[in-house]
Amino acid sequence: MLIEKDMNLADVLHHDHNLIPVINRFGIKLGFGDSTIEEICSDLNINLDFFLTITNTYHDPRYFANSHLKSFDVYLLVDYLKQTHKNYLNDRIPYIARLIKQLMEDTTEHKASMKLLENFYKEYVNELTRHIEREEKVVYPYVLKLEKAIDTAVFPDELTRQVKTYSITDYEKEHENVEEKLFDLKNIIIKYLPPTSNQNLCFSIIHELFILEKDLNEHARIEDTILVPKVESMEYVILNNKS
Amino acid sequence: MAKATRVIIIEQAYLLASGLEALVGELHGVYVEHVYHGSEPNLTEKVLGHKPDIIIVDPNSLGEQFFSIMKAFQNETDIKVVGLLSDNAPNPIKGRFSHQLNRNHCKFDLLEDLKKIIGNDLEKKPSHNQKLSNREVELLKQVCLGLTNQEIADKLFLSVHTVMTHRKNITKKLGIKTVSGLTVYALMNNLVDIREVENRG
Repeated sequence: MLIEKDMNLADVLHHDHNLIPVINRFGIKLGFGDSTIEEICSDLNINLDFFLTITNTYHDPRYFANSHLKSFDVYLLVDYLKQTHKNYLNDRIPYIARLIKQLMEDTTEHKASMKLLENFYKEYVNELTRHIEREEKVVYPYVLKLEKAIDTAVFPDELTRQVKTYSITDYEKEHENVEEKLFDLKNIIIKYLPPTSNQNLCFSIIHELFILEKDLNEHARIEDTILVPKVESMEYVILNNKS
Repeated sequence: MAKATRVIIIEQAYLLASGLEALVGELHGVYVEHVYHGSEPNLTEKVLGHKPDIIIVDPNSLGEQFFSIMKAFQNETDIKVVGLLSDNAPNPIKGRFSHQLNRNHCKFDLLEDLKKIIGNDLEKKPSHNQKLSNREVELLKQVCLGLTNQEIADKLFLSVHTVMTHRKNITKKLGIKTVSGLTVYALMNNLVDIREVENRG
């Protein structure tokens, strides 16, 4: 399904309810009646093209190829990525932690195994949090500085030095280890956890982990295929302007 | 898990390309890596750059370049080149392909044909013994205790290379990649004692 501006947002969500957290990141809350995407975006002052690009990308992995994303301001993208981080850290991850805690409290005979699971999850969360913090403290501010320099045509020497000493390409490869831990977590629950009586709770946990994984993959794809090329071209402009 | 079979499709017609993708998607462990229209510049380099196992080609999509591109593909002996042909495809074109899929066939026949073409690669799927050998269990314990590959090699009188091979096999058998994940597995199965793990330096 191609998501278009004159579509009813409610219909779109009936088709793909995984988009609910995505629209939340734009500040849209459920309860919008029969409004179209265009109406909602104009009410909330959301950049319509950017909204359509993100929702379509998220909905259909093949959408990317033919889009013309490059024309967006980078700060919109950075803002969206930050909202996504907030959603992980404040909502999704604590929710899964509560489910795992409940699983531990519900079992009597396998407490030790459940405790191991809980600790492993905590380790995963710590790693993910460190990764997110690095992006927010180092990568995004750098990206915004580049955009500001180009917009105002003012190129401080310090920034040029920064561009020369490290480039955005270094950040592309960082997602890997975090992904491996999540992969292990799913396999441990599916294959190696001692059978518990509360299988439905296990299902809820696995379901949440799969959704989180998909979301993280989309997130990484947006960073690698939109943010990185965009920043590379800004780095190029700045270096050539100085020399 | 067996190695995935990777497929490249060269098909201009959207409906045929989508159909081919859906067909390939029916088979476990077989993936469409990329779909090309056929008119891209430097198509041969691009396609071979993916190092595919199989290339499915619609001759109609290649036009006049057909023979030169096919020649380049056929130099790569590891790659199976499959023609998507209709009943009345002319013989000089048919003759170029050692494997064929017939556009006019029903889904069932196409799947059977495709399975035959992929052949051995598909059958090799899961090795039935996924249990760890005694040696692997011994090695897993050392990993969980926080030893490096070099330390494990010294302790068990193995080469570092052998240690790494064992570790790869353990990860493949268990489906667990990280050291902390392996530790959780070992603890759950009482292969190591929690006090030993907590004391690791």
